[in-house]
Amino acid sequence: MKNEKIHFRAPVSEMYRRKSPFDQLLEHMGKVRECINLLGEGLIRYYKGDYKGFPELTEKISALEHEADIIKGNLRNHLPNSLFMPVDKGKFLWALREQDAILDHAENLMQMLDMRHTKIPKELQNIFIEHAQLVSNTVAAMEDAVESIRDLVETSFVQREREQTKQFIHKVHDLEWKADQKKYDMTKGIYHLEKKLDPMDVYHLLKIADWVDDIADHAENVSDWLRSMIAR
Amino acid sequence: MDYILVAILGGVGSLAFYMAWSIGANDVSNAMATAVGARAITYKQAALIAGVLIFFGAVFVGPHVAETIKGKIINSSVISDPYVLLLGFVSSLLAAAFWSTLATWKEMPISTTHSIIGALVGFGIVAGGLSSVNWVCVGSVAASWVLSPVGGCLLAYIVFRVIVKLIFAQKNPVRATRFVGPLIIGVTAFVMSIALLMNTQLGYRLGVAEVHQTIITAIVVSVVIIFVSMFLLRNIEAKSVDDYTMVEEIFRRLQIITSCYVAFSIGANDVANAIGPIAAIIPLVSTGSMGSVAEIPIYLLVLGGFGMAIGCLTWGYKVMKTMGNRITKLTNTRGFAVDFGGATTVLIASKLGLPISTSHTAVGAIIGVGLARGLEAIDLKVIKKIVISWLLTLPVAAFTSAIIFIGLNALF
Repeated sequence: MKNEKIHFRAPVSEMYRRKSPFDQLLEHMGKVRECINLLGEGLIRYYKGDYKGFPELTEKISALEHEADIIKGNLRNHLPNSLFMPVDKGKFLWALREQDAILDHAENLMQMLDMRHTKIPKELQNIFIEHAQLVSNTVAAMEDAVESIRDLVETSFVQREREQTKQFIHKVHDLEWKADQKKYDMTKGIYHLEKKLDPMDVYHLLKIADWVDDIADHAENVSDWLRSMIAR
Repeated sequence: MDYILVAILGGVGSLAFYMAWSIGANDVSNAMATAVGARAITYKQAALIAGVLIFFGAVFVGPHVAETIKGKIINSSVISDPYVLLLGFVSSLLAAAFWSTLATWKEMPISTTHSIIGALVGFGIVAGGLSSVNWVCVGSVAASWVLSPVGGCLLAYIVFRVIVKLIFAQKNPVRATRFVGPLIIGVTAFVMSIALLMNTQLGYRLGVAEVHQTIITAIVVSVVIIFVSMFLLRNIEAKSVDDYTMVEEIFRRLQIITSCYVAFSIGANDVANAIGPIAAIIPLVSTGSMGSVAEIPIYLLVLGGFGMAIGCLTWGYKVMKTMGNRITKLTNTRGFAVDFGGATTVLIASKLGLPISTSHTAVGAIIGVGLARGLEAIDLKVIKKIVISWLLTLPVAAFTSAIIFIGLNALF
């Protein structure tokens, strides 16, 4: 059956790629979205001191990361030199790489949280929760920006769609900056309480602050590569 | 009528049918690839449309004079023996049909026109030496290697940029389509009516085959069509600012029309490849001599059209089925740009008398839309294979035809 099929193809149609790289990028982004939704929820529960079901959550996020890895590998391994794309292939791959970094960080963070249940001091709880929300929102804004690739490609990168994408990218920058500010407050708060807290707790709290904030940084990188991809 | 004559005619008739079948199988699937890939039509519809329209194209617009294929390539003043000519045409047809079948099997988008020209050249060299071949005509084949893809590429690029500028870049793309759509439909109608009427049998029958008559008729037809389509499109309204599915839907309908036209023009243009040599043989066998032009009787056109339709419904159907089951990221605006660019190049070339190939222009047109940043990914690897098959067509067909001719000569 398969053999027969090979002999009945129109050569002209072979020029069209079966699977669009942009679709695969969006598919990969779907995994990021799923993962960050789970992570955001988990983080807030963790900050509130509810550690129920964390091992399962960690496993779920690892599974998502693995699925996304397969998509990434598939995409990266099948972009030969002979493939002609409307955007720079290098920039495209960098965007993919940064998007994948979000998942890597989410996985590591989740595993770390699962390993040590650190109680967040009452005074800092709110600020931690706000930070987690800001980071989630940054990723969500990045998702909007990446999603707009669909319309960009459909219209062959017209001005209106490019402006719209840029709006999304500005929003990512804005939210990332706010998250950075929040992180500064968090760190300040942690050092402020250093006398009261166990040193290991301080170390761990700082690490959580860093790693959560890294996710927003990578979301910003994705949107930066997207921006340079659509630049004229 | 003596039995030998009937036997010869029956033999060459079935040969012509075989050649027509291989044209139907090879050319059609490439011409319809874009429409099926863009989901403008299903593979079943594509096969049916192509089968029917190819037949009508061959019968109603097909040439009634076989001067192109025979008289231009072989100098009949050098090879005057009708017996040699008969054998030569038979071996040329056989060689060309073999190569076309092989190429379809091996997925090479060759030009059946080029393969019959190559086959005739091969026979000419063996039978009458280098001087018996009209090398200018061979040169025009070589020119079309460059012209077909470049022409298709350029036109498709322009068409796609126009669609982007006039529709997608507008504030309200769907509203823009209400005005630009009918204009594009009008241009398409203009091009198609010129193709169908200018110096064709259909044109002569309607009495509008002269250049100025055709142009006036084409303008009238396209203006009427512009108004009709404006009327039909007057109520479309976008669901949102970037409601591109609506735009695509309009182009989907346009693409159905262009692919019908492509199928029709393949029938009209390529039928001569299959039955041209036969048309030359008939007076040869019955009267023993051959004029510079041979009248093509209507039953030969029917035979050729029928063979092409069958080729398209058998092998062509299978090719289109695989295509229809594949996922391609081709939208209707792109598909239309490829179809329109390819078909218009073929039209211009055929009016200039150049042997141009539909699949060659289609390849060029796809690259053109890609260069206009219209396609998400094109695999350029395929091009190498395609170019090799183009360059191989002439020598392989010539060589095979020469061998068959020598073999037949030894036998009889």
